[in-house]
Amino acid sequence: MDTSFPNPLDLAGRHCLVTGAASGIGRATAELFAALGARVSLVDCNEASLRALAEALPNGPHACHVHDLADVDGIDDLVRDIVAGLGPLHSVVHAAGIQSVLPAKDLKPEVWRRILAVNTEAALALARNMARKRICQGGGAVVFISSVMALAGSAGAVAYAMSKSALHGLARSLALELAPQGTRVNCIAPGFVRTPMLERLERDWDASQREAVEALHPLGFGEPQDIAQAAAFLVAATGRWITGSVLVVDGGYLAK
Amino acid sequence: MNAQSPACLLITGASSGLGREMALRFSADHRLILAGRDEARLQAARLACHAPERHLVWRHDLADVEGIAGQLGAFLAAESVQVESLIHCAARLDVLPLRSLEPERVQATFRTNVLAALELVRTLTKKRINQQRLRAVVFVSSIASQFGAKGFSAYGASKAALDALMKALAVELAPVVRVNSVLPGALRTAMTASMFDDPQLAERLVADYPLGIGAPADVVDAVEFLLSDKARWITGQQLVVDGGRSSNITA
Repeated sequence: MDTSFPNPLDLAGRHCLVTGAASGIGRATAELFAALGARVSLVDCNEASLRALAEALPNGPHACHVHDLADVDGIDDLVRDIVAGLGPLHSVVHAAGIQSVLPAKDLKPEVWRRILAVNTEAALALARNMARKRICQGGGAVVFISSVMALAGSAGAVAYAMSKSALHGLARSLALELAPQGTRVNCIAPGFVRTPMLERLERDWDASQREAVEALHPLGFGEPQDIAQAAAFLVAATGRWITGSVLVVDGGYLAK
Repeated sequence: MNAQSPACLLITGASSGLGREMALRFSADHRLILAGRDEARLQAARLACHAPERHLVWRHDLADVEGIAGQLGAFLAAESVQVESLIHCAARLDVLPLRSLEPERVQATFRTNVLAALELVRTLTKKRINQQRLRAVVFVSSIASQFGAKGFSAYGASKAALDALMKALAVELAPVVRVNSVLPGALRTAMTASMFDDPQLAERLVADYPLGIGAPADVVDAVEFLLSDKARWITGQQLVVDGGRSSNITA
């Protein structure tokens, strides 16, 4: 009996846009998608890391687009360039995100506006393009990387939590708008994952604080690949009846 | 028996509907134990699997919760196998208005849907019975655990209890065993056939699902993902697979 199945996660021929692709979760997602056969358009503001990654990725062709996503007004042009480069999009994974740990009283409007711009407004500006026929021909997929901070509180994370919770609301309503063309919109809410963002947070912790944060996760800290696998599952045909959902990947953080 | 005994995937409710679909799909890559009430239907499901001779059938009515530990333990010992993964798919659904919900019917729903799940995991984490081989558990819950619907009091309460059980087990059994739920929306299966037989209800159901009514295969992929190493950092979670139904407040 033939027991060789095609890989259900296969992304061959798909054009996927990944933001925050130079590091952390975005980078792991770009690497996995390329390995699954996708052509990947990489977006990040860190040009050197982006170019190095594009050269290391298998399959292809892939493309690099250096863009600071805080420039929300420029995103329509960015998407137009991306489609001009590698053709219509199948999927978007918005993994770019920034965070400033500050008590609310010390949070300046320009700080929270930048967090909201990159984490949330850029997500909307990117994803709404998927409603356009020349950008996505239907049957596409959008994944926003949110956070457990969208579902549980943490002192010092008010702006970040606000920006990430908004992604959940955005995803639910956009899921309904895009369902008629078969395009799905979902979120992944990670716990603390070993990324450059976590490394920056860790600089302010002593060993016991670090241990205490890791102990909040029954399975310990996660790896960027753990989130990339979930993104592939949602984007590939395996996620075909999943839309408007939040997939929590947090090593048990929220179950406690 | 020793730790080298073959590792199996135990699927409850394997004789029909979603459970049978899972058995057929997973039979290529796993050695299965198909669990259900009806020997003939279980054997028919086994014969429909890839390499039928590789798989086992455990006939047990899960409403008999008290009998699970003894009978499953004896079965595993007799077959010299152990269980590495568990999918609890068996469920009882009686769509009944409140006035007809006699305590016995509620208890029957809870026995199969919740108490059996707890007793299966308890049994499979006993060293004497399963040699600490259990690694991953998926409960098939329902979006009815999150939302209300007429006639769904007992079923919805049982699935909400199942999800709460899932979270507690995930924390208690980490990092050795991962425990998660999938929450499907309405699928066309034998369990829901009566709902789709009612043309008015069927029409409303279809209209409420942005991506249409689901097929069992849509949920099987999600279960496969949660059982696999790709989900090695996912535990204690409810994965909604419902074609957008629970996002749709205009339904």
